[in-house]
Amino acid sequence: MIGNAEQQREALNQYGYEMLSLCRSQIAKAKEAFVTHDGDLAEEVINTEQRVNAIDIKIERDCEKFLALYNPVAIDLRFIMAIRKINFDLERIGDHAEGIAQYVVNEDKKISATLLEVLDFEYMYETIESMFENISEAYEEKNVKVARKVFKKDKILDKINSKSFQLIEAEIKKDVSITGQALILFSVIKKLERVGDLLKNIGEEIIFYIEAEVVKHKKKK
Amino acid sequence: MAEEMEITAEKTKDKTKDKTMTLDRIIDPALKKTSKIEVTDAKVWYGDFQAIKGIDINIKANSVTAFIGPSGCGKSTFLRLFNRMNDYVDGFRMEGKIKIDGNNIYKKKVNVEELRKEIGMVFQKPNPFPKSIYENVAYGLKIQGIKDKKFLMDRVEKALRQADLWEEVKDNLKKSGLALSGGQQQRLCIARTLAVEPSIILMDEPTSALDPISTAKIEELIFNLKDKYTIVIVTHNMQQASRISDYTAFFYLGELIEYDKTKTIFTNPEKTQTENYITGRFG
Amino acid sequence: MNSIQKNRWKDQAFKAWGILCTLIGLVLLVVFIGDIFIDGIQRIDWSFITSLPSRKAEKSGIYTALMGSIWILLLTTIISFPIGVAAGIYLEEYAKKNKLSGLLEINISNLAGVPSIIYGLLGLEVFVRIMNLGASVLAGSLTLSLLILPIIIVATREAIKAVPSSIKDASFALGASKWQTIWHQILPASGGGILTGVILALSRAVGETAPLIVVGALAYVPFAPSNPMDEFSVLPIQIFNWISRPQHGFIENAAAAIIILLGITFIMNGIAVYFRNKWQKKWK
Repeated sequence: MIGNAEQQREALNQYGYEMLSLCRSQIAKAKEAFVTHDGDLAEEVINTEQRVNAIDIKIERDCEKFLALYNPVAIDLRFIMAIRKINFDLERIGDHAEGIAQYVVNEDKKISATLLEVLDFEYMYETIESMFENISEAYEEKNVKVARKVFKKDKILDKINSKSFQLIEAEIKKDVSITGQALILFSVIKKLERVGDLLKNIGEEIIFYIEAEVVKHKKKK
Repeated sequence: MAEEMEITAEKTKDKTKDKTMTLDRIIDPALKKTSKIEVTDAKVWYGDFQAIKGIDINIKANSVTAFIGPSGCGKSTFLRLFNRMNDYVDGFRMEGKIKIDGNNIYKKKVNVEELRKEIGMVFQKPNPFPKSIYENVAYGLKIQGIKDKKFLMDRVEKALRQADLWEEVKDNLKKSGLALSGGQQQRLCIARTLAVEPSIILMDEPTSALDPISTAKIEELIFNLKDKYTIVIVTHNMQQASRISDYTAFFYLGELIEYDKTKTIFTNPEKTQTENYITGRFG
Repeated sequence: MNSIQKNRWKDQAFKAWGILCTLIGLVLLVVFIGDIFIDGIQRIDWSFITSLPSRKAEKSGIYTALMGSIWILLLTTIISFPIGVAAGIYLEEYAKKNKLSGLLEINISNLAGVPSIIYGLLGLEVFVRIMNLGASVLAGSLTLSLLILPIIIVATREAIKAVPSSIKDASFALGASKWQTIWHQILPASGGGILTGVILALSRAVGETAPLIVVGALAYVPFAPSNPMDEFSVLPIQIFNWISRPQHGFIENAAAAIIILLGITFIMNGIAVYFRNKWQKKWK
């Protein structure tokens, strides 16, 4: 790619990375706000959602422009196709972060720490954070091996999520007054599980972009 | 480049419910460009045949403007109005105003030779003179009366470097220009034009006779030149126009159908005719 | 036989016919030159070249005729070359292309085919009588110049036409004036072709007899010309004169003189061919 095309491709690449960083920090802040019941932090997350949407639109439009003007083929074409999907997934992750922040704003009680511990919430979040780390590294360095690490981790999240229903049921039976919190926590865990799925999708897209291998719907090691 | 990568956010409409913002990371330099060439109601006849039927257009400075359109639509004729190369064609007659840097170039008192020192031209088939490489590049300066050998050599080297040919020919500038390959010959012609340091470069299908690698080299060259020169390029190859130009003008049967930023023309042109042409639906 | 065989037969038949025609021409030429050679080669020595003509065959030499031919050649070159080339450049590059110029082009080509004796008569009236130059080398040169002028003009125009117009375009596009383009690009590029045409035209002039006779070149001139107003003779006339004598010695002289004349012609043509080859190589 020469000249204008090279410049535009690099710009898109930068936007992609930016979107990734932004959504990662949104999730981190939302989790922090949720756990510590920090209303101000939650407000910040909600306001930043505008920026996430703006970058989303920009990437969409730039991809259209790139396809129209530069007729990319091979790795450049896969790059455009991948980055559109990654962008879409990241925007969903951003939505989930905003959703979590909304819970904090609408609810005035802090979530009980024991409840969080029982459901392995911290561990769930750490897993997601490390998946973000893997994805960032894979994206920046075009490293397929690192991208593959997210598949196992997503399974961890699935496990935590599938256990959550029974655990929460048990806790509610112990103390009915925590029902409100428990339901909220249940929702948030579902959201985080969704975020894990989306991160796994992003991993697949990166593998497609770099190796032209479609690993979607395949059984992963 | 690093500064350009910083986000500069601009709020658009202040709708209370609409929370979207638009971003223009790389501020469009086109917004700052001035008009280099202003054409008002230009018409051209060859004898009784009217080749150009009243065109208005403003070519912006320091940009690449592409002229596209089917064969015989008048884009080459129109291009040649800018450096008055049509004057040599029998039966040529023009009406209308063409201003370059604000001066009408078709006024009687205009010295055509001076005009052409400001406006260079590269042709479709590479046409180096049957002389040495050095003589080819120095020609434009020599006819201006410049004799200083050091000055000439400096300019020749500078032009050859700008045309990305210096490394390939620096060891033997006395070699005949005709002994170079097609792509090299075309770069030699570009160097020849650059040596005179014009402000506008006109290119009439400069790569249509070349192989893909030479074409890519020259497109890269055009991209690098755009900062200092105003470039207008006629091309049959729409992908080329979309790759390298900032503005695109679509001509058909002597008329200007549409003229806009290249990205608009190729993503969402206004006129159906334009869309039909660029999608290849033209009859 | 079917059509493939017929075509092949036609192919071979034409080839054979072509070879035959070429051979006939070659053979005749070889026989002719060989004959002359045999007759005249021994006669050629330094004294032959430096002796004046005389009534005795053994003492006769071509000195005056040779000098005359050389004088004519030089003067004709000086007169016709600049005029012919300049006219060719003007007609091809400057003159407007309309009906009048088309007519002019046809007429110039026609002039090249006019019988040379007509030029002789023209020269006699205008140069010898009206301009009062007498039967001088100058008059002869002027007459021959008129004769070969159309050839030079046409050759110049053809050579200039052969320069691709893309070269002119490139030169104009760089801001060169018409004259700069002609001087720096067109003339150097067409120079070889022009030179070829001029040399061929001159080599024809060297062999002309009739117009010079009409103008008054003498058959018997006991001195070589020392200035343009002198009377003169030329090789072809000397040869003609010797051939009409009965003595065998003069036949030998004539053969020898023919060899010299042919030699001059071949050398000039050889130079022309050399330049043409060099010129054509430029465009490869």
